[in-house]
Amino acid sequence: MKAIYKIALAVTVSAGLASCFDTREPNYQYMPNMYESAGYETYSESNAFANGKEGQLPATGSIKRGFVPYEIPNTPEGYEASKANPVPAEAGAYDEAKAKELFTIYCAICHGDKGDGKGNLAKREKFAGVPDYKARQITVGSVFHVETYGLNMMGSHANQLTQAERWQVAQYVMQLKGQ
Amino acid sequence: MSSHYEAPIRKPLIIGDKNYHDVTVDVARPVEGRANKQWWIAFAISLTAFLWGVASVAYTVGHGIGTWGSNKTVGWAWDITNFVWWVGIGHAGTLISAVLLLFRQKWRMAINRSAEAMTIFSVVQAAMFPVFHMGRPWLAFYVMPIPNQYGSLWVNFNSPLLWDVFAISTYLSVSLVFWWTGLLPDFAMLRDRAITPFTKRVYSILSFGWSGRAKDWQRFEEVSLVLAGLATPLVLSVHTIVSFDFATSVIPGWHTTILPPYFVAGAIFSGFAMVNTLLIIMRKVSNLEAYITIQHIELMNIVIMITGSIVGVAYITELFVAWYSGVEYEQYAFLNRATGPYWWSYWLMMTCNVISPQVMWFKKIRTSITVSFVISLVVNVGMWFERFVIIVTSLHRDYLPSSWTMFQPTWVDAGFYIGTIGFFFVLFLLYSRSFPVIAQAEVKSIMKTSSETYKKLHAAHAHDDHSHSEHNHH
Repeated sequence: MKAIYKIALAVTVSAGLASCFDTREPNYQYMPNMYESAGYETYSESNAFANGKEGQLPATGSIKRGFVPYEIPNTPEGYEASKANPVPAEAGAYDEAKAKELFTIYCAICHGDKGDGKGNLAKREKFAGVPDYKARQITVGSVFHVETYGLNMMGSHANQLTQAERWQVAQYVMQLKGQ
Repeated sequence: MSSHYEAPIRKPLIIGDKNYHDVTVDVARPVEGRANKQWWIAFAISLTAFLWGVASVAYTVGHGIGTWGSNKTVGWAWDITNFVWWVGIGHAGTLISAVLLLFRQKWRMAINRSAEAMTIFSVVQAAMFPVFHMGRPWLAFYVMPIPNQYGSLWVNFNSPLLWDVFAISTYLSVSLVFWWTGLLPDFAMLRDRAITPFTKRVYSILSFGWSGRAKDWQRFEEVSLVLAGLATPLVLSVHTIVSFDFATSVIPGWHTTILPPYFVAGAIFSGFAMVNTLLIIMRKVSNLEAYITIQHIELMNIVIMITGSIVGVAYITELFVAWYSGVEYEQYAFLNRATGPYWWSYWLMMTCNVISPQVMWFKKIRTSITVSFVISLVVNVGMWFERFVIIVTSLHRDYLPSSWTMFQPTWVDAGFYIGTIGFFFVLFLLYSRSFPVIAQAEVKSIMKTSSETYKKLHAAHAHDDHSHSEHNHH
């Protein structure tokens, strides 16, 4: 009988302690010595900066090592000029598998796996007017230009893809256009 | 007394005309009486020291062990010195109660209770140092191999610091059980004599319903013998394991195979000295001179002399081996001890530990209470310095001269140490007023062989005894 009381007490105490846990709040911590970062963590908030963000913009005109700025401006004239742009040597050899992978991730949702403008979002009529590559006057240089700056409804993909990756995707787009 | 034979050379262990009842009354008197002014003064001083220790520990935990004098080179200093010192002091208790039991030493009976109390209280002091010298003592439970959510992350069983955990915790628990088992008949005696309902209740709980039947006594004796048999290898292994903290390292001055027996000998040496210190006071203030006699003190002094000599031999062995080794680091370690910046601590240690026990060869000195008391204090100072010398002088100058440094304790180091001394005496003073400080049940068992009264009776009837036994043989 006494054992039952002891078990009941243990159960009550553990249930009581467990009830303190709230799924809407982070859980209790025991001595969180090195849980919070002392240094600035990427994307963290910090009062050390005027806008409260850890990610600060680099100075305008600065160029980081290993980066070549894209010189053609984001204008109609620039778009026309970009059509003559060839794939630069530093973009590396064309890797179809890699390029297809990137295209499937970043482009196919609107443009469709075949580049025919019948991506999932277009089919579900989230928005209209996604063109078929075959119907457009595009070159590898102009695709790169549009990936970099965006055009009309399409936004810039420069923050998702590196220059080399954009050249890969541009070549894949031209491959789809040719099929 | 008819068929009893004991060599007449043995001196009585119970002085005066004592009968069984007198033993009971003498043992119960400090417990049943009221504390006098001196007790309260001693208690107040101890409590103050203890509270200072609590403050020092709180400061250490709150601010970090950088508040201590330890540094990057000397990572262990007073913390481990005091730890080893307290563990060492604790060893005499088990030695008196267990080893002397195995050797059937009747003189242990008057002193074993207090010696075991001393063991337990000093191991408690010792156990605080491994915890509070940690940088993150709140994670101390990580030393236990408990199944956990870190993919069941385990402790490494290769570290002597982990063996320390098991050694000290086992030592404390076994000593406590051994002590408490022995206390049962004595608590029962206090229970049966209790006048107030409160003390009756307290000693009823403490004595676990001991009724002293023949079967109880038979099992009691068996348990005591088994525990003594277990405690003896334990007492040797515990301080051996403590010595492994140093002996298994690669530090010149630490890495020696002599450390285990040498530490154990030092532990017995310092422990007996502490028992002597405490009992010389206790026999006086608790009026127990009839039980803790000069002979007891003399025998403890002899143990101190023997173990002190073993320690002395160990010192010489270390010096010889350092010279004989041809290892310049080892040779320098001992040269540094003798002539380096801590030369004074080395020579203090040498003086206290090698010279002071040797004066015990003189009977006049070892039977003098005053000199015994002074030497017992000197030995404990010396043994503290032994640990300090081994730890600090080996660390502060080792392989790389660029890492040579000095060690300077801070008030926090001192506060913690003084706090443990205070805590020890708080516990010991409380013990001496609430526990039967002499194992009266055991002392009564030697009444008819070793008390002065009966010895005289035996002597008077010696001729009769002889004829009786002759008669019985035929």
